[in-house]
Amino acid sequence: MLNYRGNRVKKIIVFLVSLGLLIVVLFPFVWMLYTAFKPPGTGLIFSLKTGLTLENFKKVLFEYNFLRYFKNSFIVAFFSATFSTLFAAMAAYAFAKKRFFMKNTLFWLFIASMMVPGLLYVIPQFLVVYKLRWMNTYQGMIVPHLANVFGLFILTQFAKEIPDSLIEAARIDGASDFKIFLFLMLPLMVPIVATVYLLNFQFHWSNFLWQLIVAQTDRMYTVPVGLAMFKNAHQEAYTLEMAASSLSIIPIAIIFVFAQRYFIEGITQGAVKG
Amino acid sequence: MRESLREQVESYIYIGPFLLIFVLFIGFPFIYAFFLSFHRVTTLQDVFGGLEFVGFRNYIFILKDPRFHWALLVTAYYAILIIPMNIAFSLILASLMRVPFKLNSLMKTGFFLPFVLDAFVVGIVWTFLLSGRFGIITNLLRPLISEALYRQGFLGTPSTVMPSVATAMVLKGGGFGMVLYLAAMQNIPKEIYEAADIDGASGLKKFFYITFPLLKPVTTFMVITGLIGAISAFAEFYAMTGGGPTVFHFGMPQGMTKVTGLYLFDFIQSLRLGKAAALAFILLLITLSISLIYAKLQRK
Repeated sequence: MLNYRGNRVKKIIVFLVSLGLLIVVLFPFVWMLYTAFKPPGTGLIFSLKTGLTLENFKKVLFEYNFLRYFKNSFIVAFFSATFSTLFAAMAAYAFAKKRFFMKNTLFWLFIASMMVPGLLYVIPQFLVVYKLRWMNTYQGMIVPHLANVFGLFILTQFAKEIPDSLIEAARIDGASDFKIFLFLMLPLMVPIVATVYLLNFQFHWSNFLWQLIVAQTDRMYTVPVGLAMFKNAHQEAYTLEMAASSLSIIPIAIIFVFAQRYFIEGITQGAVKG
Repeated sequence: MRESLREQVESYIYIGPFLLIFVLFIGFPFIYAFFLSFHRVTTLQDVFGGLEFVGFRNYIFILKDPRFHWALLVTAYYAILIIPMNIAFSLILASLMRVPFKLNSLMKTGFFLPFVLDAFVVGIVWTFLLSGRFGIITNLLRPLISEALYRQGFLGTPSTVMPSVATAMVLKGGGFGMVLYLAAMQNIPKEIYEAADIDGASGLKKFFYITFPLLKPVTTFMVITGLIGAISAFAEFYAMTGGGPTVFHFGMPQGMTKVTGLYLFDFIQSLRLGKAAALAFILLLITLSISLIYAKLQRK
């Protein structure tokens, strides 16, 4: 009885402490949204009397071209995630279920490349993109990051666990290898494919440094690059800045809340196994 | 024999796209960066052919550059701040979330959410919160801080800028460590705690003598990724400080937060790509040796 009460008190304390920390962690985003909805020019006035408006969003989307940046971000993230997931899934199938020349060497090389900080690749990647005349293009932003080693790694681990007997059965039924991949392996790998897809989407949505290097004109800016340029050009236009920040944060936040299971599982699996 | 040849060809069709991109944009760049680090690059016109070989001069230039020493120093300072803070905050969150209570899973989602958001944009938001005179946090803390700090803001004052960036990034990334520690905590057998209860161990004692030692693999992971993260930190500093504020050290003005990532970005921006590549390899060596030493120490 005493223990039971002690437990309840403990739970209430834990709840209150957690709630306090949660408020601290989420406060910046609440304040960002609140500022984004305040009338332009009142970003620095701390009063609830200013009222709320969509004016900032209208302004950044249409006057400051963020609609365009938003579209660019979406194109880059969508195509990057789609192709890098597809390529990684294809390669994972081969690595998990087939024998071929240099298989282990290649896999080891891929994994080893993950140890290298991304900054090292930036310089020569930039030169390759420059040489291909891909500066300031979508392909310049997308293609260099389509070999997603982390995705390959967790997809391969997952594909290994699919029983060989299923593949044999399909083969006896006369299915071609490509059909086996497309209609047997891929559907069986859906949960982990979804994880890799979401992680890739998020990565490319936030791949700021690379986009900053490749996108050189207003036409090609993504949301974070546009935000960086906007901040340089308009000091202290805080309500607009926070509206633009919200545009970058809200889509990922929404996707995350609905698909958090995939995010968390994928990230922890990769961390634990790697 | 024919079957196996077929398997070979098929396999390479499946790994083909991945392999091609890997070779072109990861494998080749790695080797080419090594090549560049021994050459002088000033324009983009002749980067593939016609570069002047300079031996180790790029490496020597960087190793002798006081700005590099300074960048290493502030990066180490950042790492020393953020790694323990991040581990402590993640452990606190995991310990709290381990207690089953109402809304527990909703809270986990809330704690994890900022981790998936763009570091640059989150940095912009924090810059707004911490700015002098107008920032909401600066105003909330006004009774507690000096007038100078109030006016310059947390990011404009040399002594507070690094702790502020570290705090912002810990609050953003703590949910990730939380999830890792939670998963590891679930693998600790209950019997160990029961035995400790019989011996009359207090809650804190149980934490420091049982839980924390058993979570060592996760902590090692957090330290190593934290080091790599500090050495390649870029977006958060680009957003929040741009390298500033200026302080005088090593006989010249230095940016209080001019970390190695920003120092490298300067070389890229001014197209001194040979030096940038040399710097990248020096940083890679530092990362690898620290990770190896740490992993060795942990095994003992």
